[in-house]
Amino acid sequence: METNIIPRKGGFNFDNYKRNLFLEQKGLTLPKVTKTGTTIVGALFKDGVVLGADTRATGGSIVQDKDIIKISYIAPNIYCCGAGTAADTLFTTALISSQLELHRLTTGRQSRFNSAETMLKQLLFRHQGHIGAALILGGYDINGPVLAHIYPHGSSEHHPYITMGSGSLAAVSVLETRWTKNLERQDAIDMVKDAVEAGIFNDLGSGSNVNLVVIEKNKTESLREYSKPTPHHPKNCDYKYKRGTTAILKESIKDLVVVTDGEAMDIS
Amino acid sequence: MECLIGIVGKDFVLVAADATATSSVNIFKTDEDKSRDLNKHIIMLYSGEAGDAVNFAEYIQRNVRFYGIKNGIELNPKAAATFTRRELAQSLRSRKPYMVNLLIAGYDITKTTPHLYWIDYLGSSIEAPHVAHGYGSYYTVSFLDKHHHPDLTLEEAKILIKKCIDEIKHRLILNLPDFKIKVVDKDGIREIVI
Amino acid sequence: MSPGSYNGGAVVAMIGKNCVAIASDKRFGVQMQTIGTEFSKVFPVTEKSYVGLPGLTTDTQTLQEIFRFKANMYKLREEREIEPRTLSKLVSSTLYERRWGPYFVHPLVAGLDKNNQPFICAMDLIGCITETCDFVVGGTSEENLFGICESVWEPDLEPEDLFETISQALLCSIDRDCFAGWGAVVHVITPERVITRTLKSRMD
Repeated sequence: METNIIPRKGGFNFDNYKRNLFLEQKGLTLPKVTKTGTTIVGALFKDGVVLGADTRATGGSIVQDKDIIKISYIAPNIYCCGAGTAADTLFTTALISSQLELHRLTTGRQSRFNSAETMLKQLLFRHQGHIGAALILGGYDINGPVLAHIYPHGSSEHHPYITMGSGSLAAVSVLETRWTKNLERQDAIDMVKDAVEAGIFNDLGSGSNVNLVVIEKNKTESLREYSKPTPHHPKNCDYKYKRGTTAILKESIKDLVVVTDGEAMDIS
Repeated sequence: MECLIGIVGKDFVLVAADATATSSVNIFKTDEDKSRDLNKHIIMLYSGEAGDAVNFAEYIQRNVRFYGIKNGIELNPKAAATFTRRELAQSLRSRKPYMVNLLIAGYDITKTTPHLYWIDYLGSSIEAPHVAHGYGSYYTVSFLDKHHHPDLTLEEAKILIKKCIDEIKHRLILNLPDFKIKVVDKDGIREIVI
Repeated sequence: MSPGSYNGGAVVAMIGKNCVAIASDKRFGVQMQTIGTEFSKVFPVTEKSYVGLPGLTTDTQTLQEIFRFKANMYKLREEREIEPRTLSKLVSSTLYERRWGPYFVHPLVAGLDKNNQPFICAMDLIGCITETCDFVVGGTSEENLFGICESVWEPDLEPEDLFETISQALLCSIDRDCFAGWGAVVHVITPERVITRTLKSRMD
């Protein structure tokens, strides 16, 4: 019994796997996980890279979260958009981000885009597509701005503009129309914003707001809620219940002790 | 299909288990005792796959007994139920899980309160005033819900459990001719005949 | 039949003005048969943070044991109580560790942090955190709860108003869910006290 409570050092745990197979054989269907159901976009411009994402998370047809952040921090000069199984994208990027941080502390140098890309794709390849993370990685290092997409099976490609997720079909039309070489910064931001909005309005899996990250040489700017194309209209009246509406059978109140810091002891 | 019933009274727990041992379509015997005494004040009733059930029950029995010997203090019913649940939940993650449904009835001698726990083969455990396992539960749960009250005396409980058993014999398509009935209270565990 | 609806249950958490509330139904059943009516799916981890674990009951109970153990170990190591946000990461990584053999639960975490700032979040069964500043829901009544919470929740509710809002939201949702109901319990956590109330509800 003790073996189950000793903290593990890391890695995945398959203890429940057999049992879940057994439950499946008994006719239980596995529940849904939260998907990003996403529109994510990335584009290179004259001297940097813009990443953009919508903010909707779905579980089946339910909107689980209206304001999720899909652009994860990898390093100060590298960010990553995630599509697919939400938990996978979040944990995968967090894992690589922490490894890069340690690497930077060891070497004292800026993280290279290639390191992040290789570490991500090797992790994904190792798990043979079972980690459902589809990523757009953008960064700026000594080689200038770079943009790549990484598929769940571990393949990656570099492109000047990329979109992924269920809204990519809508977004790609905007990119195909508007992307040119050496775009100005603001033009690139506007284009990415419009591409994500195309996903928000035309793809049911994408919605809510547009988050952007602009990475340039020695400068990264995070533009949260750069555009809010679907504002929530406040209610004109409220539905507040009168106090005493709910019938109570039993009540117990636990008073908490409020601890305040006292005067520092005089040690002069 | 086997049947286990438990009723908590004012200062006791009354439990009943059918006494039929079956395999496939055959009845082997009708005086099987489907229970094990975990210690002086805790009894465990089991049903499920024949080998699994007895094996698991005796495994728990010996561990609870051993705890008492080792520490010089007996587990209370809640601790015994928590331990049993955990073992069952753990076993479910193994290659060959135990397919056992359990009732744990006990009398907490320090708090002087009776307790009854219902545990299923998945490792869900709840404490309840009246519970049942098996097809018989479809008749008994509703019946007991109607007639159970917290100040139940042993005489009243005997009448209730007799009515439950009669209903099972009367309505259930399966033949469960005999039940073993036991009571747990401050004096320990004893079998009673109704 | 999914593992989430095998035993049934509903949990909801809401943020108010300097307070949070978390509420759960009390039914325990096996498919369509109700076995117990005293099974709350919400457990205290520290004085001011609670975790709700609707889902398959065996996993609810196993995880409750694990989280109590881990939070106590944290307290011993760090010599302070775990903050609700940290607790949510602990829950999340415990679940993601079992990415391919998950526990069938839909956890909710609610609490006040050391500055008494409200915190709530929900997770899917593999630990994807959804942190919001209004409400989070889980269990078999999830869809019902989403609907009514979206309508009745409003910002800056005082503890007593928050209690009414969360109670009514839960009671209405479980009335339209066969697998949940049979009593409900609400915890309202404020900087000064934790108020726990058992609600009168339909028992069918």
